[in-house]
Amino acid sequence: MAMRQTPLTCSGHTRPVVDLAFSGITPFGYFLISACKDGKPMLRQGDTGDWIGTFLGHKGAVWGATLNMDATKAATAAADFTAKVWDSVSGDEVLSLAHKHIVKSVTFTQDSNHLLTAGNDKLLRIYDLSNTDAAPQEIAGHGAAIKKALWCNNDKQILSAADDKTIRLWDRTSMDEVKTLTFDTTVSSMEYMADGEILVITYGKTIAFYNALSLELIKTVEAPAPINSASLHPEKDFFVAGGEDFKLYKFDYSTMEELESYKGHFGPVHCVRFSPDGELYASGSEDGTLRLWQTAVGKTYGLWKCVLPEDLGADNSEQMYGSTPEIKA
Amino acid sequence: MATPVPVLRLPKGPDLNSRGFDPNSPRYIALCRTTLATSEAAGADGEELQQEQHARSVLRERFLRCLLAMTNKKVRFNMHENVTVEATFGSSDIDVLNFQVSDLHTPIGVQKEALIRSQDVISFTFDA
Repeated sequence: MAMRQTPLTCSGHTRPVVDLAFSGITPFGYFLISACKDGKPMLRQGDTGDWIGTFLGHKGAVWGATLNMDATKAATAAADFTAKVWDSVSGDEVLSLAHKHIVKSVTFTQDSNHLLTAGNDKLLRIYDLSNTDAAPQEIAGHGAAIKKALWCNNDKQILSAADDKTIRLWDRTSMDEVKTLTFDTTVSSMEYMADGEILVITYGKTIAFYNALSLELIKTVEAPAPINSASLHPEKDFFVAGGEDFKLYKFDYSTMEELESYKGHFGPVHCVRFSPDGELYASGSEDGTLRLWQTAVGKTYGLWKCVLPEDLGADNSEQMYGSTPEIKA
Repeated sequence: MATPVPVLRLPKGPDLNSRGFDPNSPRYIALCRTTLATSEAAGADGEELQQEQHARSVLRERFLRCLLAMTNKKVRFNMHENVTVEATFGSSDIDVLNFQVSDLHTPIGVQKEALIRSQDVISFTFDA
């Protein structure tokens, strides 16, 4: 019997959720951080969506948020012209890095020793977190606000996507531009998968996959609606995307066929990410919520419980809910 | 007719009273480095730790008593950007993120009730 996807809604934010990121898998599970226009990024347990804490301190909308691999540190980028680094176990602010304009993107290197920031001042900045008094290295070149900046190729190179409709690859040591991709419209999102060196880019209704080292196009597909974010499954068999029509789409990566679409959000989907184990994906929306979706619908994982056909209809359901109590529009 | 996947419960939402990061969670206990400077030093002995902890308790108690003594008194706040304002102190919140004050004298007028961000404050003085 076919099972219908039950998304888990994580509430708590009061404004649109614009970015989210998962940590790696730690001895305590994996974690999820969400960036919100209400200025209060939140940390959640990745497999259940349970709230762990809120990072308090930013004075403006938080546009980007990230966790380091072992989820001990968090970094956030905000409209108050600062990027902040946090101890994500205690929730304390550890560092505040002043910028000259709105900061949009933050990301740690794999060893958590350096932080890359980018934003509306069109500069990429690399901070040495073990030497915070030193001025950051700055890379200029983009002609407009930078939306996203990522480390790639084992932290030896940097990828940046900006409103000047380009994605640029930079060498970290020489700080030179290595390659540029130009598009006809602004890129809405960029995600990097180290394993396989794949870059997932979305623009307009297109979801495109590039080789992250050569910036050569691998393949593309058009979705039914403008897409704001896409994420590739760790095993590269699926990818998911969400955008302006409020739905989440699931595609097969080999055939590029649309497999499923899910309704649930009450506003455009701004970001979507697969968990590090690929068992679920999280989406953040204009409606102020995060939703967790199962990759294998019906499987027992996290808060989802697989029920065999014989158990349905039996009166042993004191502990289970048939469906999450949702208000249907 | 597809049945929705059953769920054990809904994800827990934020606690309205605190910012979270439960100090009793297994992760916190395992990972949170104690902030005692001596215990971070290699080979810290029990006595030094005790002394430091005692000093910390004394300072903390003094700070809390200071906040109590300030209630309803006129306090002058020295803040960043060379700003000095005077107000009648009300109270602080639990994490000392904000100070609630009344009759805040600012260059653009007197604010009847206000919240001052404690991270903007460098120092404050009052007459006991």
